[in-house]
Amino acid sequence: MTEERKNLWKDWRLHAVVLAIVLVTELIGTHQFSVGPGVILLLPMLYAIIIGLALYFTPIIKDKQSKNAEPLIILGVTLLIAKIGVIIGPSLPQIIEAGPALLLQEFGNLGTILIALPIAVFLGLKRESIGMTHSVAREPNVGLIMDKFGFNSPEGRGVMAIYIFGTVFGAVFMGLISGFLATLTPLHPLSFAMASGIGSGSMMAAASGSLVAAFPAMETDILAFAGASNLLSLSTGLYMSIFIGLPLTEKLYDVLTKRKDKKDQNKTRIGA
Amino acid sequence: MLKNIQEWTLLLVIFGFVSLLGNWVGYEVMPVEAVPGIIVLVLICLVGLIIQKLIPVNIPSVAYVAIVGVLVSMPWMPGSEQIVEWTNSVNLLALATPILAYAGIAIGRSWTDFVNLGWRSIVVAVFVMLGTFIGSALIAEITLRIQGII
Repeated sequence: MTEERKNLWKDWRLHAVVLAIVLVTELIGTHQFSVGPGVILLLPMLYAIIIGLALYFTPIIKDKQSKNAEPLIILGVTLLIAKIGVIIGPSLPQIIEAGPALLLQEFGNLGTILIALPIAVFLGLKRESIGMTHSVAREPNVGLIMDKFGFNSPEGRGVMAIYIFGTVFGAVFMGLISGFLATLTPLHPLSFAMASGIGSGSMMAAASGSLVAAFPAMETDILAFAGASNLLSLSTGLYMSIFIGLPLTEKLYDVLTKRKDKKDQNKTRIGA
Repeated sequence: MLKNIQEWTLLLVIFGFVSLLGNWVGYEVMPVEAVPGIIVLVLICLVGLIIQKLIPVNIPSVAYVAIVGVLVSMPWMPGSEQIVEWTNSVNLLALATPILAYAGIAIGRSWTDFVNLGWRSIVVAVFVMLGTFIGSALIAEITLRIQGII
C-alpha cells in the first residue's frame, strides 16, 4: 500500500455506511423467483453493490470515501481468499481427484472468443473487438493489451470497455446467470461451480454464492471447486491469454473480417 | 513494515467485525461462536501478506494467503480439524456482502465511464461473460462425466 493510502481505518464514515448496508441487506435476506424452468436468486451481496452505488450519488458518500473504498475491496478479497483456502484444504483429496476437469475447464475461457468475437464483428466493431473478446478482461489482461497495443489503441479501448462493464456489473451479472443457468440447463452444479472461478474474487463469490443458494446440499463441494478454479484462473489466466487467447483472437478476427470485406465488396459490385 | 502490519490488522479487524454482524443477522450464527473463526482468517491473511513482503518475488499476496489457508486446513495437518470447525462458523456469503458494499461505493466513480460505453460494448460484454462461463461449464461437465465423478 502506498503512503497516501495509510490510515484508511480512520474513515469511520465509510465503515459505518458499509456496516449499515450489510445489516440492511442481510436482514432482507435471499429471495428467489422463477423465470420459466430456471430460478433467479437475489442475494444480499447483490443488493449491497446496488445500494453502495446509489449512495455514491448522495451526500452521505463523498469522493474521499469512494477512493478509500478501493483498497478495502482488495483487503476484503484477501479475507475471502483465506476463507476459500480453508474450504479447499479439507476437500483437497476430492480436488486432486477432480484435477483433470479443473485444469481442462480453464480452456473454457476460450469460449469467450468463439461466442463473443463473431458478435462483436457482426455489430460492426473493428479492432476494438480484439481487446474486448480475447479474455474476460480482468487486471492482468488489461495490462497485457496495454503493453502490446498501447493505451490509446482501439484494442486498448476495447479491453477497457469490458473491464469497466465487469467492474460495475460483473458480480451482479454472474450472480444472476449462474443460479439461473444451473437450474435451467441439465449441466451439473459442480460443472458450474468450476466455471464460477473466472479470476475475479467478487464475481466468483457472486456466482458460487448463487449456486449454493440453489443447491444448499452441495455447499462445501461447490465452494471448494469454485475457489480452486478461481485460484487456477488467477495463476494461469495471463499465460493462457498470451499463448493461446490473444493469438487465436487475432487469427479469428482476420478470418471474420476478410469474409465480411468480401461480402461488402460483392454488395457494392451488385449495387454498381 | 510494522506500520503496514498495524494498518492491515486494524482494517482486517474492522472488516471482520462487520462480517461478524452480517453473519449474525443473515445466517443466525452468534458472534461469540464465530469470533475464533474470524480471528483465524485474519491471522491467515496477515501471515500471507507478511510472507509476500518478505519474499522478493512478484507474486500477488492472495496467492500466499490461499496457500497458507490450504496448508493449515488440509487433512494431513495436525490441528486442522479445529481450524476447519472454527472457520465453518463464518459464512462465505457474510464475507462477500461487505466486499460488494465497498465495491458499490468505489464503482460510483466509474459510473460515467460506464454510461458512455454504448450499447454495442454492453452486448459484447454480456457475451464475453457468458462465453467463458458456459465454455468452462461444458468442458468441466464432459471431463467430470468421463471421470465418473458426477
